[in-house]
Parts: sequence; C-alpha cells; structure tokens
Amino acid sequence: MNKAWGMTMGGLVCCGMIVAGVLLQLTAGPIRWDALAWPVNGLVLAALLLGIVAMHLCRGKVRLFRWMATLQAGIPAMVACAMLTLLMGVTRQVPSGHQPAEPIGITAMLSFWPFVLSYLWLTVLVGMVSMTRLRPSWRNVPFLFNHLGIFIALVAGTLGNADMQRLMMTVQEGKTEWRAVDEKHRVHEMPIAIELHDFSIEQEPKLSFLSDVTVYTKKGLALRDTIRVNKPLAVRGWKVYQYSYDEAMGGKSDISVFELVRDPWLPFVYLGIFMMLAGAVSVFLKSKW
Amino acid sequence: MVTWTDLWLFALPALTCWAVAALLALRGKWHKTVYLLTICGLLVFGAYIALMWHSLERPPLRTMGETRLWYSFFLPFVGLITYSRWRYRWILLFSTMLSAVFICINLFKPEIHSKELMPALQSPWFAPHVIIYMFAYATTGAAMLLSLWQLFRKEKDLSAIDNLTRVGLSFLTVGMLFGALWAKEAWGTYWSWDPKETWAAATWLCYLIYVHWRRCRPASVRPALLWQIICFMCLQMCWWGINYLPSAQGLSVHTY
Repeated sequence: MNKAWGMTMGGLVCCGMIVAGVLLQLTAGPIRWDALAWPVNGLVLAALLLGIVAMHLCRGKVRLFRWMATLQAGIPAMVACAMLTLLMGVTRQVPSGHQPAEPIGITAMLSFWPFVLSYLWLTVLVGMVSMTRLRPSWRNVPFLFNHLGIFIALVAGTLGNADMQRLMMTVQEGKTEWRAVDEKHRVHEMPIAIELHDFSIEQEPKLSFLSDVTVYTKKGLALRDTIRVNKPLAVRGWKVYQYSYDEAMGGKSDISVFELVRDPWLPFVYLGIFMMLAGAVSVFLKSKW
Repeated sequence: MVTWTDLWLFALPALTCWAVAALLALRGKWHKTVYLLTICGLLVFGAYIALMWHSLERPPLRTMGETRLWYSFFLPFVGLITYSRWRYRWILLFSTMLSAVFICINLFKPEIHSKELMPALQSPWFAPHVIIYMFAYATTGAAMLLSLWQLFRKEKDLSAIDNLTRVGLSFLTVGMLFGALWAKEAWGTYWSWDPKETWAAATWLCYLIYVHWRRCRPASVRPALLWQIICFMCLQMCWWGINYLPSAQGLSVHTY
C-alpha cells in the first residue's frame, strides 16, 4: 500500500478526532447519553451498520475505505483509546450523570467527546475489518470471534446503556410495594410489586443477606422466592437484586432494599462477550505451546 | 489447622526444590531432575494453598497476601512451561527469584485480614476470575522479563515473548470477561468503569497494541520490547498500584 496511507495517516486521523472532540466539548458540552434512549439508539445502530456495509462495498473505488480495514489505521486508533483510558485512570471521575468537576471535561470521561469519538472510530475500524473476513471459512472463525465479538459487545453495551433501567425499591416487612425510585430520585410505578415477608442475615455456613418475598405481576401472577446477594430473581424482563437493608438494625432490619434492573440489549452484549471468550480460547490454543 | 505462621514450613522446601532445579537448568544438566524438582516444589507449595483454603473455608484469594501466594505458585509453573518449550536455561532461576520475593513479602509482611468474605465475593465466579488473572500476571511477567533480556542482546528473537503475550492476553481477556459476567450477577452491571476496570481496559488495550504491532511491523523490534515494559507497568497499576492512586481512593469496589 502507498506510504501516504500508512500509520502516520492513522495518527493524523486520531489527532483530528481528538481536536474535533475538544471543539465539540467546548461548544456543545459533555455528551448526554440519556438522549440515546429508544428509538434514537436503534436509528444510530442502523446508521452505523449501514455506513459500515456501504463503506465496505465501496472499498474498491475509495482508497480511504480500503485503508480503514488495515493495521496501519487500527493501531493508532488503539493507541488513542489506550491513552484516553489511561487519562481516565489517573483522574478522579465524578459519579455517572454528574457534571465534570473542571472546565475541560476529563473528570466525566465517559461524556468527553474526544474519548467517545476515539472509541467510535476504533469501533468503526473493527467493524470494517470484520467485514473483510465475513466469508465462510474455518480460518476466519477465530478472527471473527475476536473482532466481531468486541464490536457487538461495545456497540450493544454503549447504545443499550440509555435503555437500561435501574431503580431502588424499599420494602417494609409485611407490606407490598410497587413504587421504585430512579437515580434522579423520581418515583416510578413498576409493572411488578414485591411483598416482603422477612429480611434476615445468615451467619452459617457463610455470611449471607436474604429476603423472603412474594413478587406479583400485573397479570396476577404471584411468585414466592428468596432473594440473596449474587442470587437475583428474574421476573418479566426485570431482575431483582438484594441491594441493602437497615444497617443500624442488622439482622432485625424490618426493611429490605432491592435494585430492579431491566436491560433489553443484554442478550446482544452477552453474544459479544461469549464470542470474545471463544476468541480468547482460540488465541490460546493457536499459540505454540 | 494451617495458618500464615506455617508458611515457612512449606515455602522453604518448595523454594529449595525450585532453586536446585534452577541451578541445574542453568548448567544445562539433568533435565529430568529439573522437571521433577520443580514439580515437587509446586506440589509442596500447592499443598499449602490447598490447606489454607481448607482452614479458611474459602478460596485464599481475597487479600493481597493471599493473591501473592498464587503468584508465587504460578511463576515457577509458567517458568517450567516456558523452559520445556524454549529451553531458556536462565528462565527457572528468574521465576524462582521472583517467586522468592513474593514469598518473602508474605513471610515478613503478611497482610492478614478478617476471616469473613464479603457477600458479593461469595460467588462461583470468584475463584476462576482471580486465578485466571494470576496466571495472566505470571505469563505477562515472564514476557516482560524476556523483553528486558532481549533489549540487551544483539540478535533479538521475540518468538517466545510473542507467544507468552498472546497466552497472557487470552487469559487477561477471559479474566476480564468473567469479571463482567460476575459483576452483572452481583451488581446488575457488567461494566461500570470503576478505577480497577478502567485500568484493566487500558492494560488490555496496551497488550492488544503489542500483538497488532508485531503483526504490522515485525522488523521493528525495539519499540515492541519497550512497549512490553509499558504494558507491564499498566498491569502493575491495575493489580496493586490503584490501591495507592489518589484518583481511585474510595471509588473502587475492588479495594477491599
């Protein structure tokens, strides 16, 4: 390939991304991820996939698109992402949803335009290089596990984040609760209700917090079960986690706090994660031991 | 009941076995004895970990001191595998010396914490997550030592480093993804950019860059060797450095 389309070009594109990101940050402010809630994230996904396929199909005519699937483009993109991730590692981050603590925005790195643009660029490149190997051949399988796997996990995880719902529900012993509070302390009526029969702390055989509950759905289904740390209960697309209790009262606590989580994009994230796991195993097996 | 005070009873015989094996390997003699002695040492040290596991009633994986036990165990293990594959005479001496450092830290500065494991850690994911990471640390540690050695050689050969890095990276990937699956079970999110996760992502990217760079510019060796050192420094930060990093204080679910 022509030298002009080498790693220097990759570095320049990344620098351009970062500069553009800083300008966007200064003019538009930090990224607002909640704006990506359905159906916007569906449209973004469609645009991303169509764009990648279109660029792949035009690669014979446009040198840029051919170059995007090369290591010379990919390595600088990985370096940019690594550097910004390291920057995130050495700066104290504000809790998610908060405004950055300084004018530039690196204390809210996940909403920092250069960070997001760098990862977006890397994601597009991974998508492009996956397209070049999307042919039925055993040789391509480990490659696709690794590259398509991270592509699916990253895209589904990022776009799906806005659709993820996490709410806290505090239930008193003997009472039934159907309201829950979101991260911004707004109260929501939930499609499921929880009746708490008993909260207790087990010491033997090992320390464990558990709630004896009955979960009701709007269709009149009642489900009696025990919810523990590490043992969430799954009801109608929601997962109910044991989150907290009245710590001053300990095992005699007459309240139990549950976290209710719904994540409709999760199956795709898992698909990506399991592909990456298969890819890692194939890398291990292919190494000359 | 086996406790920390019994460590030297197991560590000294194990270290003696490894040291004798390493010296024999260095002289290039008695390969079978080298294997036999190293495996003996592994069995003795492994027995201590198993007994600790039994008396703690949980996998000894929670404190820095306990993870150092695994590091001391896996270093000679990876050293032996590397020795069997590439016959570097000095690799066992290196792995033994490093293992001895970790054993000495544990002997003279044991971080012994309370017996109880916090509920979020009582999960079937816990043992595989940490053991896989320990194995990855040992493998990438060996790759870094080889890189240091190769930096000072005229005829540079990176095949062993490449293989160790690939193996280490695959283990880092599995450890990281197991962590994500576990976090989903325990906290409801698979990735929350907690300081440990941020550093794990950065480290993972750095090793990915090494692997891709080797494919892209196989002749450009010196930058690759220097990059190995950066990768390993990131890994150290991820493993224990963040416990001392001001930006991570009080934010990480990984500092117990």
